Amino acid sequence: MTSVESRPPPTLDRRNALAWAAHRLFPNVRSGILTVILIPLLGYLAYRVFLFVAVNGRWEVVERNLTLFMQGTFPRDEQWRIVAQIVLLALAAGIGAGTASASAHDRAIEAGLPFTRSGSLDLIRRFWSVIGFVLILLYFASTTTPWLVAAGTVASFVVGLAARFLPTSWRNVGWALMALALVAGFQVVSGTSGRAWIISAVLVALGLLSVVSFEGLAKGWARLGGRTAVALGASAVVFLIYSNVVDPGVGWDAWSGLHLTLWVSALAIVLSFPLGLMLALARRSSLPALRGLATGYIELIRGVPLITLLFMGQFILVFMLPTGSNLSDISRAIAAMTLFTAAYVAEIVRGGLQSLPTGQTEAGQALGLAPPTTMRKIILPQALRAVIPAMVGQFISLFKDSTLLLIIAINEFLGVRSLVHAQADFRAVAHAETLVFAAFGYWAFSYAMSKESQRLEHRLRVGER
Amino acid sequence: MRVIRVVGQVLAVLAVFLLLRWLYGNLVTNSQLRGLSLDFGFLGRPTQFQIPYHDEFDPRSPVFAMVLVGVKNTLLAGAFGIALASVLGLIVGVARLSENWLVAQLSSWYVEFFRNIPPLLVIIFFAFAVFLYGPFPNLREAILVGLPWGDGNLLMFSNEEWGVPSLAATGNLAMFSILALVSVVVAIGVWWWRTTVNRDTGAPHHRVLWSLGVLLGLLVVSYVILGGPFEMSWPTPSENRRRIVNGFALNAGFMSVAGALGLYTASHVAEIIRGSIQAVSGGQIEAANALALSSFQRYRFILLPQAMRIALPPYINQCLNLVKNTSLAAAVGYSEITNLTQTSIGNGRPAVPSIVVLMVVYLCFSLVISFILNIVNRRMQLVTR
Repeated sequence: MTSVESRPPPTLDRRNALAWAAHRLFPNVRSGILTVILIPLLGYLAYRVFLFVAVNGRWEVVERNLTLFMQGTFPRDEQWRIVAQIVLLALAAGIGAGTASASAHDRAIEAGLPFTRSGSLDLIRRFWSVIGFVLILLYFASTTTPWLVAAGTVASFVVGLAARFLPTSWRNVGWALMALALVAGFQVVSGTSGRAWIISAVLVALGLLSVVSFEGLAKGWARLGGRTAVALGASAVVFLIYSNVVDPGVGWDAWSGLHLTLWVSALAIVLSFPLGLMLALARRSSLPALRGLATGYIELIRGVPLITLLFMGQFILVFMLPTGSNLSDISRAIAAMTLFTAAYVAEIVRGGLQSLPTGQTEAGQALGLAPPTTMRKIILPQALRAVIPAMVGQFISLFKDSTLLLIIAINEFLGVRSLVHAQADFRAVAHAETLVFAAFGYWAFSYAMSKESQRLEHRLRVGER
Repeated sequence: MRVIRVVGQVLAVLAVFLLLRWLYGNLVTNSQLRGLSLDFGFLGRPTQFQIPYHDEFDPRSPVFAMVLVGVKNTLLAGAFGIALASVLGLIVGVARLSENWLVAQLSSWYVEFFRNIPPLLVIIFFAFAVFLYGPFPNLREAILVGLPWGDGNLLMFSNEEWGVPSLAATGNLAMFSILALVSVVVAIGVWWWRTTVNRDTGAPHHRVLWSLGVLLGLLVVSYVILGGPFEMSWPTPSENRRRIVNGFALNAGFMSVAGALGLYTASHVAEIIRGSIQAVSGGQIEAANALALSSFQRYRFILLPQAMRIALPPYINQCLNLVKNTSLAAAVGYSEITNLTQTSIGNGRPAVPSIVVLMVVYLCFSLVISFILNIVNRRMQLVTR
């Protein structure tokens, strides 16, 4: 059936279909027999799939419950918040894409290289799986609202792309605008309920801290002071805006469906990365106590399945906090997923750190850089770049693991099925339909992420040479 | 500088210790407030519920016995899943490198599909869309596949349980098991002896032939001596057609978990296999061809040993992942350790020690598998140099 060594040469005359078939389908007798057996089998399979998709499938189960799948039991009066969120996030994505494209353009000009701007066709090719999923959602839509939302999203993305025309010295402003739109997108749903505004304030502060540079000030501490002041000011502004302008909003305890899945995964990814980075550095540190603690934590967490940590969050964490403090189910689940993923991220980062030759650290020392600076400027950029594929793989698996929330009775995208099949019409029927629909949703996002990671890996390797 | 380092470490340890103490203190206070116990005494008290598909289990037996049942079921699902994932993964992984376009495309679709969907979704698909509400009739109208000869059923299909043939003891099965074990040891000895002969004299070793022959011979002899210690047992519906008696009954939960995890993990195994075969450099194959090795010899002596060295560590990791993923069975009601722990907490057993026991069980699995991995890694390194 196989042999590595006799793979066909890469140059193939595809114009001649017959020659191609002879070459790739009937290269030898054994392979030819396999093809002859496989073709009718595949034909039958395709026929059955066609019957299921187009004839027998009771897809009204998805059509009638589309809102339930998307936002679950989210209060219907507050639905506008989710719409606003989608539009704001599209704006953020547009600004980000525009700014990134413009800065790539700047760098190409600086280096005297030709620059080809990626078109919208390129975007479709990269995210075709997600776009396909959205089109299927629109197909199932029974009102015009989803169409309007989709149109608004695209429009807002295009508006955001205008950030490309910001002058070069304003590039940081572009990034800051993106961060603001991102935070606003989160906050427009969560409002000030719980302490959600803290997340936004911290994000805005961190964003500005890294964006505003105060190049004019020579002294390091003055620059740091200025940046801290800006960051603190920004978080205060965020608090004022959100406590006065945005209404209480809907805290994430009331979120469910695909909306919850995406946010839980995103939050756990964002939170687990810094924690994992710190754990990796601690495990590599020369201080034995720190190393021991980090190693113990990592090995303990990696030895148990995620579900046990979710159980711990559900049954034990409540009792571990002072009497009277009530953390919601979803907050505890996010905490458990973050703690779990951090251990894996730490191991991945450690792999990247170990892959670097010691000469890199020695070069830093020879330049007279302090150890933290060596780590930040020389080691980490290379180490993190080397582990991007593994890291994205871990994040994909976190996204897939968000389905585990249904075991602790949180209705995320897959868990919503229990509400759908509680309806009298669908009690014992159409289970395959809802599962196939959900599977396609998960597949679309995971596939897009893995392809993006391959693309990133490829591009970064090109940059290396 | 040294002082700072020492003080810093002491402070770090102290901080972690204080945090843990604070958490534990809260735990004790809150548990006392709500009258919950934190000790492990519950392990000796009665379980008080019936484990599904385990009629032999007595609800009055202690929780510890329930934990053992759970561990056994976890290992059972894990073993079947690993077997399925290995075989399927090997086939798909090798097929991805096939010169046949159709075969290569098919396996690449398989990998891209299963790698990108959640394993829990696959398990639920099997449990609900294939078994519970799927095409199979319920146990009362189970499909019976009769034996081609005589009475009895070869197979039984229903949406709750499938029946397959098994061995049933009629005589001294325990004695036979011991003899079988002895035969295996003897066969290994024969293998070692033939290897030595081959090394010392250069005579052909024929290890496989010799060992298998000795093993089969010993087994047949002990079967005859013990006067037939077992016979085939064919699956039969019980009087009220609510259960499968005789044979071996596979319940839907078990098949969902083992089948789904097998299919899911096979996609990861396939990637490992493909990567490791591709990682063996082309020069090795040219060298094998230059030595005029046959296609089998090339695979057996050149490609396989080198590819295996690359593939084995990640493969063992995938096996560990599969065993840990059996915990997802909690969603479909297969009685493995996580599901039983959840049920037992729901039945009023103290949550905190129950979950500690659960975590310790999984840590033991992980430790055993990492121990195997370490041995493999050490042996692989010896092979290289």
